[in-house]
Amino acid sequence: MTGQPMSSWIRAGLAAAATSIFLAAVGLIERFRDLNLVGEEVTFAGLVMAVVPFGVGYVLARPRIERGERREVPLPRAALVGAVAGIAAGLGFGAAAVAVDAFGVDRVRAVFLNVTEGLIELVTFGLPPVAGAGVLAVMSGALGALGGAYRRSPERWRRPLGTAVVAVLVLGFLQRIVPIALDQLNLERDWLYSRRTGGLTWPGAALAAVVAVLASVVKARLAERWRDLADRGGSEGAEPFGGLRLRTALFVAGLIGVAALPQVVGSVVSEVLGTVMVFALLGLGLNIVVGYAGLLDLGYVFFFATGAYTLALLTGATLNTFTGQAEPALSAELGFYLAIPIVIALAAATGLLIGAPVLRLRGDYLALVTLGLGEMVTVLVKSPWLTPLVGGPNGMRNVTDAALFGFGFRSPQHFYYLGLAFVLLALVVSHRLAASRIGRAWTAMREDEQIADAMGVNVVRYKLLAFAMGGAIGSLGGALFAVKIGSLTPASFEVIVSIQVLGLVILGGLGSLPGVVVGALVLVGLPGLLREFEEYRFLAYGAALVGIMALRPQGLVPNVRRMRELREEERAQDAWARASIAQEREDEEEYEEPPVEPAGGELRP
Amino acid sequence: MLGAVGGFAHGPHAEEGEPRSAAVTTTRVLAVRLRWYERVPWRRVVLVVLGVAIVAVVVVGTMKTLGLPEAQRYTGQNWINFVARGISQGAILAMIAIGYSLVYGILKMINFAHGEVFMAGAFSSLFFADAYARSGFLDRHPVAATLICVAVAVAASVLTAILLERLAYRPLRSAPRLVPLIAAVGASLFLQNAFRGFFGPQPRGYPRPQVLGGQLSILGVPFQRMQVLVFVVAALSIVALTFLVTRTKTGRSMRAVAEDREIASLMGIDVDRTIVVTFAIGGVFAGIAGVLYAMTFEQVQFTMGFRPGIAAFTAAVLGGIGSISGAALGGLLIGLLLNVGPALFLTGFGIPSPFSLRDAFVFLVLVLVLVFRPGGLLGTGEPEKV
Repeated sequence: MTGQPMSSWIRAGLAAAATSIFLAAVGLIERFRDLNLVGEEVTFAGLVMAVVPFGVGYVLARPRIERGERREVPLPRAALVGAVAGIAAGLGFGAAAVAVDAFGVDRVRAVFLNVTEGLIELVTFGLPPVAGAGVLAVMSGALGALGGAYRRSPERWRRPLGTAVVAVLVLGFLQRIVPIALDQLNLERDWLYSRRTGGLTWPGAALAAVVAVLASVVKARLAERWRDLADRGGSEGAEPFGGLRLRTALFVAGLIGVAALPQVVGSVVSEVLGTVMVFALLGLGLNIVVGYAGLLDLGYVFFFATGAYTLALLTGATLNTFTGQAEPALSAELGFYLAIPIVIALAAATGLLIGAPVLRLRGDYLALVTLGLGEMVTVLVKSPWLTPLVGGPNGMRNVTDAALFGFGFRSPQHFYYLGLAFVLLALVVSHRLAASRIGRAWTAMREDEQIADAMGVNVVRYKLLAFAMGGAIGSLGGALFAVKIGSLTPASFEVIVSIQVLGLVILGGLGSLPGVVVGALVLVGLPGLLREFEEYRFLAYGAALVGIMALRPQGLVPNVRRMRELREEERAQDAWARASIAQEREDEEEYEEPPVEPAGGELRP
Repeated sequence: MLGAVGGFAHGPHAEEGEPRSAAVTTTRVLAVRLRWYERVPWRRVVLVVLGVAIVAVVVVGTMKTLGLPEAQRYTGQNWINFVARGISQGAILAMIAIGYSLVYGILKMINFAHGEVFMAGAFSSLFFADAYARSGFLDRHPVAATLICVAVAVAASVLTAILLERLAYRPLRSAPRLVPLIAAVGASLFLQNAFRGFFGPQPRGYPRPQVLGGQLSILGVPFQRMQVLVFVVAALSIVALTFLVTRTKTGRSMRAVAEDREIASLMGIDVDRTIVVTFAIGGVFAGIAGVLYAMTFEQVQFTMGFRPGIAAFTAAVLGGIGSISGAALGGLLIGLLLNVGPALFLTGFGIPSPFSLRDAFVFLVLVLVLVFRPGGLLGTGEPEKV
């Protein structure tokens, strides 16, 4: 058995220790010591402290690919590796705590705000520091071993177990949301969430775990049946769900679910869903620019801001001033539905105008230029110069509520439907575009600009088109945002919006429409629900962007066509690998799964 | 600017917007009769209109500002102050710009998080400066105290830069070009918020030794002492860097790696090490700049790296990215533009508080340089297009 030497395990453990120290220093441990997830025993702080050693064991026990073959680490060895790394992680973390204690917590705290007596006590379990560090090391070792063993446990156990843990944790995290939804539905909640600790009760957690295990098992069965069918029929078209009728029923049920959602979940979640809609719209727009056409735009807030402010000006919003309100220097009194086409047309025209000079630039320069354009809007909107037009730092108010036959869309539960309508529209448009001649031209251009040019694709025209269409959809997002909150301040139009939108497009998978929706739900919806973590939101964002680029550049829900291409490539490779391995060891009757390299999706400039 | 337009249009790098080659154009014309609007080179029209508009604004604005009635006009002393401020801020920008330029020269990659490297240095040294100010050490031994602060800042910046390279960029070195850029954006966000988590979100006062508070008269013109210090330090360190790059073995290997990474490695140069050294040098400069910046503005915050970072990147591009003298020149020009430009060009139009628009100037320059002269002033023409 080849493997990596012990020093590399220890190094991984020390990296884990550094991670723990980092997490403690930014405050992710101490500040959440009272955030109970399950009962009083499982707190968020405890979870963070446990996840790191568990994770290092898990990662170290991953199967390695050697000479085209997948080699699993044997179970005892996996546990051993995990234990050693876990002990190293615990010792490192504990040593830091001891050092801080010896140096004087107050002196450290003068610099690192989150290093408190409470933190040291938490990390050393209230024992004398050195003893506590020892306990920490032992527990970390156990967790690391557990992580390694878990990685090596058979899939049919690992899946349900993982699902159960995730389900319980998700319910635990949603302790501010789910009880409200239950109340809304007049359902009893005390069996699931304790009123005293705030988190899940143990019986509730157990029930959730059982349900999750069952769901996971059923899903695995269905997938197996599907695979059987596919193998037997030899076609991909075979359905596990018993054909068209059932699928239609599921679709209708889904539709009803989506339509009834805001009534079920209450106004707090509806509010979050509204924000998700706005960002999904922005994501769909940016997806055209980045995902389809391959132009990295870091200043998408430009269109967001122009959309919002144009709509406000066109529908007769007023300026905030110190004394009250004032008419903008230039405005109209159109209805929302009359103003929207103008907003879109204006944004498309602006897209063309700013696109024209910058589109010849190479990818990363284009990114920086668009960033500059986005920042320029932020600066201008805030500036005293444009205050008579857009209100400057005070912003505007009284934006239309887009009333349709007297039905306003300001309240979160109503806005959801307006947002949904526009998102669906943008989804359809994007979907049709992708399949059209234009979409193919974009794909060709993204894959290789020179070849596309040589094949007769008018590169400049299609780039401009992408910019204009992306801008139009983005401005729609801005307009909806203005309707949603009813007032505008420059603080909503910072560069972070561009990065958020880019993040959700990339997280979901460039060029993938379901990906945009998933990305918006994860990157906008989740932080909206987990308000406690607001401060750490962008820390997680940044880490996620780096992580995705390193580990899964194709995103969570990759573009179907690109995935299919990849899979075909993989099959060809499998066939090749099978042939060569079979030849290598003719005497062996069966061989392991053919090598599965992580599918490396690519982001092309 | 107009000259640049002309030069550009006839340049060797004319591309898709321009007539591609005689053959292609002729076939097109023969095959399809182009309508009039298809025959207009829209891209170039937009460019020319843009260029003319900007030149007009600059010229008219300057004339109007200088022609204002006595009461509203800036005094000569005002202008001297603007220029002095511009030069000193430009010197700081030049030092940050060097970080962008070196990394770009070697990896052909924009280290978007370099502004955060700068922030890391300034912020980390705050705690030493603060302690020294409270104990009185800062005013009793200003040189020693400042040197220690600089050393701390340099250490923090270098550490940040090296970690950045090791954790975020090295794994992506062979990936398509936009992948590391996106990772860099993420890293920048991560670093900002990590410092926010460590040290808190609010701006913190940064002490300055009293010696640096007053004015200094040079040739009868009074300068702020701080500004003089900034300029001298920046000039000295840039000279030192030039020496390092042109005369030492490290510098030679850096140039070799920049020229061709593979061949350099065949010649026995440790490419990974050279890249780390490059990031570290960028970090050294960012650290020094961080202390100078913090002492000038007497304040640090976790977001302080973003705008100077963009301005410095613009400076690097303006001067010609990849070139040290270009970074220095670009820094000075951007510094001057930031501090003189708004007053000179905008006051005449009656725009209230023109300096609130100064950041817009930076972005405008960035756009214009990249559009009209992507190679920068001292660059060798346009950077290659992939």
